[in-house]
Amino acid sequence: MKWTGDLAHFPYPFKDSTYRYSNNSIPMKQPLSIEVTPSYKKEMLLKRKLLSDHPERCYQSLLHSMTGQWEIVELVIDHLVSKYPQDFSVKKENNSWIFTNKILDEKIEFIFGEKNSLPCEPLFFISQHVQEDLIYMRQRDDNLYLDAGQLCFPANWSLAFNIGMKFKSIHHPIPGFKEEGLDQRILQFLMRLEAGTPWERLNWSLMAGDRLDTSLETFDQWGRLRKQVTSENAGELVHIRVEVQKLFRLPRTNSILFSIHTHLLALEQLATNSEWVQQFYEILSELPAHIIEYKGISNYKKAVLEYLEKQLQQVKTL
Amino acid sequence: MSIEPTLFVRITSIEKITKQVKKFTMSSETGKGLPKFSGGTHVSTYLKTRSGLIVRQYSLVSHPDDSTKYEIAVRLSEDSKGGSFYWHQEMKVGDRLQISSPRNHFYLSFKAKHHVFYAAGIGITPFLSMMQDLSAKGQTFELHYASKSEDSCAFHPYIKKHYPIQSHFYFSDQQQRLQITSLENHPIGTHVYFCGPEGFIEQFRIAAGKLGYPESSVHYERFLPTQNKAMKAFKVILQNGSELIVEEKQTLLEVLLANGTYIPYSCRVGRCGTCEIPVAEGKIEHFDDFLSEEQKNEQNCILACVSRGCSDKLVLKI
Repeated sequence: MKWTGDLAHFPYPFKDSTYRYSNNSIPMKQPLSIEVTPSYKKEMLLKRKLLSDHPERCYQSLLHSMTGQWEIVELVIDHLVSKYPQDFSVKKENNSWIFTNKILDEKIEFIFGEKNSLPCEPLFFISQHVQEDLIYMRQRDDNLYLDAGQLCFPANWSLAFNIGMKFKSIHHPIPGFKEEGLDQRILQFLMRLEAGTPWERLNWSLMAGDRLDTSLETFDQWGRLRKQVTSENAGELVHIRVEVQKLFRLPRTNSILFSIHTHLLALEQLATNSEWVQQFYEILSELPAHIIEYKGISNYKKAVLEYLEKQLQQVKTL
Repeated sequence: MSIEPTLFVRITSIEKITKQVKKFTMSSETGKGLPKFSGGTHVSTYLKTRSGLIVRQYSLVSHPDDSTKYEIAVRLSEDSKGGSFYWHQEMKVGDRLQISSPRNHFYLSFKAKHHVFYAAGIGITPFLSMMQDLSAKGQTFELHYASKSEDSCAFHPYIKKHYPIQSHFYFSDQQQRLQITSLENHPIGTHVYFCGPEGFIEQFRIAAGKLGYPESSVHYERFLPTQNKAMKAFKVILQNGSELIVEEKQTLLEVLLANGTYIPYSCRVGRCGTCEIPVAEGKIEHFDDFLSEEQKNEQNCILACVSRGCSDKLVLKI
């Protein structure tokens, strides 16, 4: 299965010629938590298979997240229906809801707020209809905790490990994050998120291979490809992985919805844009060792740089 | 520039509930429901008066799950600068206005074993939705409510009816006084919440501290008037010795970027914290919504996108 090739929907993540960790969030122009791309159907198939084969890896929730889960159901359905009315619809009569997904030809009836009216938890249910991974961060006193989440396409992290953890503990492994005080600053930013003003940011990494489901639990299956990268095969094998991350304050529970839409693009496709190649080459050449290491690029950085140099040479000789 | 997300509402009823307090009910102009909210939430209201725009915050006193309407209670203040005067004298049923999305800076503790509310006068308002939230969850609470007299006690009949066991009233015309010694009577694990005039909050806050309540168990809400931005030109000095003038209509961020001094930035509205710069010298006027009061008072950093110098010059550590 190929996940790449969607240049039109690819969110190119760079604006400068250097990259450092920062809170590069901006207020969203279109306040939508979801996006339906041409690969919707095949991503939904994969997601549903992962959810049913590996529920403990892909879905976790704490008991007190139920009200927040319903809040996410309402927000996501409203967004699907308002942005894609030809594909999704909802009929609400008091608390009786009928949600129709025309792409998958499904109709689901349930009582809003009534857990037993669905065959699974509300967050589990709605996550089967969107390409995004959905994470619920509950504000408890003066901190944020990961209290529920559906995560099928993680960039090398584990939901089962992180469930119930505080924001700072979750981000503890990022080198320099704590030392530079970024963890406190970003927590502060998140605690001040307001309903009606959602934010988004892009995060990126490189990966060898084109798997969407790169969970920590399956590292043995996909991590080995990092050793197979050469300057000859990098264009095809290596992918730039970009996450569109969105942040919504959920006013009923005063908590936060964090949605992640993952996009992959092979370097050879990135190379079709000469400005991108130039900029990405500069960024990768200059990237500090601790970021290279954390993003898992150390093994094959040299091969990728050689590949990019070749591409730049070709542009110049044309 | 600031972002103020707004909802368009129409006043649907006005009810005089005491001699000085009126309750205003508003519903959405678009017919789409209003966002649900959590206990303790307020909205900002934007009043277009003859003497200009007046922004005032009021707690929502309607039920958090009711998305058909919002209710606020406004006390006519003797020294009104226009806000409560406008609400009482000018606002009519059918009038349209803009309000912010619901915001909660006075939320219920998640870890509290028991909640105790102390209200004086119109300070009762945030506690109404908090008590509704706690009743629905079956958690225990008490209310201690001081007022001049039974007649002037807003929501007295409602509270007596719904929370007969939990509520305690103190009417000064009947020589009843709400004493700080009341704080001695709560079990370990109790969180206390204060709302009322500044002197009342201070008295209880200090007493709670002396009694040994952990800071994190003491909550209070003040409504501060919004700042008026005085935009004056100021000078900054960089580490390389260069001096730059930030004109009245410019931001420090714009001037730095125009000067070729690159600093990371993102939202440009004082919320994300990305453009924070360390400051060695000079007095800073903070206009951001990111730094805490404590961080602002330290006077050692500035968010370049919105904040300004208010002394002759700022010496920046970049």
